[in-house]
Amino acid sequence: MKITALLLLRTAGDYSSSSGPSDPVVLANASDVSHFGYFQRMAAKEFILFVARTVAKRTPPGQRQSVQHEEYKVHSYNRNGLCALAFMDDHYPVRSAFSLLNKVLDEYQKTFGDSWRVQQTDSNQPWPFLTEAFTKFQDPAEADKLLKIQRDLDETKILLHKTIDNVLARGEKLDSLVEKSSDLSAASQMFYKQARKTNQCCTLL
Amino acid sequence: MNARHGQTSYRDRTQEFIKTIENLKKSSSTPDAPSSNAVSRLEVPKSAASIQSEFSKRASQIGLGIHQTSQKLTNLAKLAKRTSVFDDPTVEIQELTAVIKQDITALNSAVVDLQHLCDSQNKGGNMSRDTTNHSTTVVDNLKNRLMSTTKEFKEVLTMRTENLKVHENRRQLFSSSASKDATNPFLRQRPLVSKGSNDSSALAPPAPWENSSTSSSPLFPRRKTNEDPSSSTQPLIQQQQQQQQIVPIQDSYMQSRAEALQNVESTIHELSNIFTQLATMVSQQGELAIRIDENMDDTLANVEGAQGALLRYLNSISSNRWLMIKIFFVLMVFLMIFLFFVA
Repeated sequence: MKITALLLLRTAGDYSSSSGPSDPVVLANASDVSHFGYFQRMAAKEFILFVARTVAKRTPPGQRQSVQHEEYKVHSYNRNGLCALAFMDDHYPVRSAFSLLNKVLDEYQKTFGDSWRVQQTDSNQPWPFLTEAFTKFQDPAEADKLLKIQRDLDETKILLHKTIDNVLARGEKLDSLVEKSSDLSAASQMFYKQARKTNQCCTLL
Repeated sequence: MNARHGQTSYRDRTQEFIKTIENLKKSSSTPDAPSSNAVSRLEVPKSAASIQSEFSKRASQIGLGIHQTSQKLTNLAKLAKRTSVFDDPTVEIQELTAVIKQDITALNSAVVDLQHLCDSQNKGGNMSRDTTNHSTTVVDNLKNRLMSTTKEFKEVLTMRTENLKVHENRRQLFSSSASKDATNPFLRQRPLVSKGSNDSSALAPPAPWENSSTSSSPLFPRRKTNEDPSSSTQPLIQQQQQQQQIVPIQDSYMQSRAEALQNVESTIHELSNIFTQLATMVSQQGELAIRIDENMDDTLANVEGAQGALLRYLNSISSNRWLMIKIFFVLMVFLMIFLFFVA
C-alpha cells in the first residue's frame, strides 16, 4: 500500500478549449522513487511527470478519474482547473485516494489562494505540506476518516468479543464458587451442630 | 456364532422381518429400511438403520462429488498449463474456476451437515460403538479428501497466476523488440498523443523500472525512449475508454462512500448489541456474587458458633478435674466417717 507520487497541476481551462500543446503546468510535486535503482530514478521521475501531464490533460473539470498504468493506479481529481493526482499501487483503496486528493486540493487553495491560475511554468519548489502529506498518508487509514473509523470499530468489536468470552468464563467460575460456598456453609452448619451436641450431653469422664 | 451387540438370534430374523413388513404395510406408515432386530425393539433400531442408510447415502454422494470436483480440477490444471501467449482460454478457465469453487463450497456445507447428522445420531439413538466409530471415520475421511482437493485447487490457481506473469514478461519482451525498430521515437510521440484509440500497440509497455536491473547501459537509453511512446498509448487508450466511463466512476465513488457509511452504521449497531449483552451478563453475574457473599456470611456465623461451643466444651473438659477432685474429697470424707464409725 504505497503512494509513489503526489502531484498538483494546473490544467489549461476547459477541456473543450484546450488549445493544442498546452500541457498542464506542474504546481507541486512529491514523489518517492527510492525503490528504483539509482540510475532509473531520473527516468522514473520524468515518466511520472509525463503521465501526470497526460492524465491531467484528459481529466475534464469537476471529474474524478482512475487510470490503471502497468502496476500503478493513477487517481486524478480535477476541480475547476486545479488537478491533483496520486500514483499508487493497486492495494490502496480508491476512496481513500480521492479523499486524500480532496484534502490536498483544499489545503492548496487555502495556502495559495488563486495565485496558481497565472502560473505558466513548472514550479520546482517543494511544498512542505505535500511532502508531509505524502509520508503521512502512506497508510490509507490516515487519509480516509471513514476507513479509520471502520478499522477502529472492527478492533473494538474484536475486543468486545474477547471481553464477552472472559465474562462467560467468569460466569462459570462464579458458578463453581457459589457451589463451593454453599457446600461450605452446609458443612459449617453440621460442624456447629456437632459441637453443640458434644457440649450438651455431658457427664463424661 | 454371532456377536452380542444388538443381534440376538441370528436365524429368526426372516420371520420377524416379514412380520414387520406386514405390520408396516397395515399401518401404512412410510416404508423404512428393513429391521434386523427383535420385534419388540422395532422402532428404535429401524430408525437407527434408516439413519445409517441415510448417512451412508449422503456420504457416498459427497464422495462422488469430491471425485467429480477433483476431475474438473485436473482439467483446469491441464488448461492452465497449456496456455500460450496468444491462445489463452481465459474465459473457459474462469468459468471452470467458478464452477469448481461452487462445487467445493457445496461439498463443504454437505460435509458439515453430515457431521451434524453424525453427532445427533451419536447422541440420540442407541448406536453401537462400531457404528459411531465408522461414521466418525467416514466423516473425517471425507473432510480430508475435501481439504486436499481445496489445496490442489489453490495450487492450480497459483500456477495459473504464475503462468500469466510469465506470459506478460514474454509479451513485454516481444513488444519491446517490436518497438525498438522505430526510427525516431520522439517524433512519433506527438502524433501518438493526438491519435487516440486506433493504436494497434495494445500490449502493455515494459515498465522501465522492472526490467532495468537486467538491462545494460547502451540498451538503457533506447529503452527509455521506447517506453515513452508506448506508455503514452496506454493511458490514452484507457482514457478514451474511460471517457465513457467517467460518469460511472463518479457514481461508483459516491456509492462506495455511501456503502462505507452504511457499513460503519451497521458496525455501530452490532457494537451496541454486544454492549447490552455484556451488561446483562455482568448484572446476572453480580447476582451470583451476592449469593456467594451470603453463603460466606452464613459459613462465618456457623463457624464462630461452633468455635464458641468447642471452647466451652474445652473448658468443661479441662474443668472436669476440679469436679473429680471434689468428688474424691467427698469420697475421702465418707471413708473417714466410715472409718470413724467402724473403728
